[in-house]
Amino acid sequence: MTIYAVFFYIIAALIIAATGLAITRKHMVHAVLCLVVSFFGTALLFYLLGAPLPAIFQVIIYAGAIMVLFLFIVMMIRIDPEKTHRFPLGHYLAAGGICGAYFVAAVLLTLLSGPRARQPMPAATASPFDFGYYLFDRHWLSIEMISLLLLVALIGTLHLGLGRVGRKQKKGGGQ
Amino acid sequence: MTNWTLFIPELYSLGAAGVFFLFCLCRPDSRRDYGAAMILSALGLFLTVWSVGFQGSLFEGVYRVDLYSQVFKVLIYCGFFLAVCLCADLSGVDESRHSEFYFLLALCTLAMMLLVSCVHLLAIYIALELSSYSLYVLVYLRRGYQKGLESALKYFIMGAASSALMLFGFALVYGTGQSAYLVDLMRDLPGRINEPVVLIGFILALSGFFFKLAVFPFHFWAPDAYEGAPHQVSAYIATASKVAAIAVLIRIIALSGGQSDRLAWFLIVLSVASMTVGNLAAIAQKDLKRLLAFSSVAHAGYVMIGILSLTALGYASAVFYGMSLLVMKFTCFMVVVKASENGRNISTGDLAGLHYRAPVLALALLLALFGLAGIPPTMGFTAKLLIFTAAMKQGLLWLVIAAMFNVVISLYYYLQILKAAYFIEPEGQPPPIVVSTPLKLAAIAMILLMVAGGVYPGPVIDLAGDMTMGLFP
Repeated sequence: MTIYAVFFYIIAALIIAATGLAITRKHMVHAVLCLVVSFFGTALLFYLLGAPLPAIFQVIIYAGAIMVLFLFIVMMIRIDPEKTHRFPLGHYLAAGGICGAYFVAAVLLTLLSGPRARQPMPAATASPFDFGYYLFDRHWLSIEMISLLLLVALIGTLHLGLGRVGRKQKKGGGQ
Repeated sequence: MTNWTLFIPELYSLGAAGVFFLFCLCRPDSRRDYGAAMILSALGLFLTVWSVGFQGSLFEGVYRVDLYSQVFKVLIYCGFFLAVCLCADLSGVDESRHSEFYFLLALCTLAMMLLVSCVHLLAIYIALELSSYSLYVLVYLRRGYQKGLESALKYFIMGAASSALMLFGFALVYGTGQSAYLVDLMRDLPGRINEPVVLIGFILALSGFFFKLAVFPFHFWAPDAYEGAPHQVSAYIATASKVAAIAVLIRIIALSGGQSDRLAWFLIVLSVASMTVGNLAAIAQKDLKRLLAFSSVAHAGYVMIGILSLTALGYASAVFYGMSLLVMKFTCFMVVVKASENGRNISTGDLAGLHYRAPVLALALLLALFGLAGIPPTMGFTAKLLIFTAAMKQGLLWLVIAAMFNVVISLYYYLQILKAAYFIEPEGQPPPIVVSTPLKLAAIAMILLMVAGGVYPGPVIDLAGDMTMGLFP
């Protein structure tokens, strides 16, 4: 076992533990922080596999931007940890059953398909310059559309949030 | 060098959306918004008609401008313009939200215009998402309706699920075809369409468009969204959005090359299921908008018959069907908007006495319902005839028979509406419906279109044929 493999397994265990904590915490802020740890772990994993660009993306976009947004939302809506209602056991069993079946099928397929399936895929590499050039040269129309999409999403969230506030104010006025 | 002239209609729509965005920042004024929307959408309609003859390719081949896309842009803008025409009484939306309403409507129109021209999987996906997201928010804009949030959320979750499926399908198609350009896929896919991974990828890739078109089993959002949305938005979803979905669905299915029996079988199952589910569920509906939603599901099934014959004739007939749906569904929603007070939802019974309360609307409704049911001499009859002919040429007699059974079922609830409008006396004395002169003109135009489409459909059929010719290189 090389030193890389040792690191790999340590980080993988860290990710699984952090994600497990994230989905079991009652307190939303704790859950979000656990998820940040898990994302950092994933970034390290990317780096270890020789892909520094996705690693940086993972840190900047997921651990940085998206998780901060999550924190904002958690602070804004302030869900009571006691009042969250649980799904019935049947839902858990169904979801677990489906995922388990997929997992078993995937493992069986890998085992049965012989040594060819276990060969590592050739890595596709691109420098940040090439990647950026390609993206903005070929697909800038899509990028512009995505910016419009974000604008629409922003308006939608604003509307949802303002609608709540407006209704509360109306209720307050009526009492 | 990019030829920006080709992109003028889209740039114009972006500018129109920008105007409303500026209005969002100013003091709310619904009359100003309505006036601006009428002027901007009418100008845009002229602009799209002017640009029909454009040909060319933009943005490194991501964007193709041809007769097919340009005519669909005209139709989509028509849908936008007509939806704006209904906005004179926009009481279903909060006064301070009118600018946002028009902004999202304009942006959604832009997204659909982009959608029908994109020939790259990534751009198609993003344009589809942009149009869907605008519609999710528009559905939520309904004021004072308990189910508004629920229906918007249902719409959103169904949309998110189907777009996830579509993205997975795109990934499989991209993985096997090694290209995301439709031109390259067109060369590669027809020979390999029967390989399991290609077929599954292709079918999954279609699911996003099935969602837009409300084909079974992606139709569950339709009744709730139609019911919970402001009437004008329902009208827009039923007209412009459906036309765009038909356009892009034909473009993608044309990739298969028309050689795959398995694909055809899959589409046949979906088509029959949509027709049957839509028609049977529509019978039970009391709310007029829910009824129209289920009738949309059924009509999605009929459109699929044209598409699944996988021939040029079939595609052309589906295009014609889309055009006729635009006219007929708009007419129905015009009646819904005018017959409802304060943007309330109405049931079939509320139409009682329509024939003397608003004779022009009643006549338009009569023709539209006859068209939807496929009774001559209306545009709807011609459209159904074309579609059934295309299916018969492929030897799908029993599919046509199944569709005919469905037409008979649908007659029941369409005639129920007509009975309410013409033969049932209203309780008490409902006030006559005031129809403004522009709307009266719109109603008369719709009546003329529906009759002309039934009596003399030749030029439109030729146009549909020319449009779809361009899909086969």
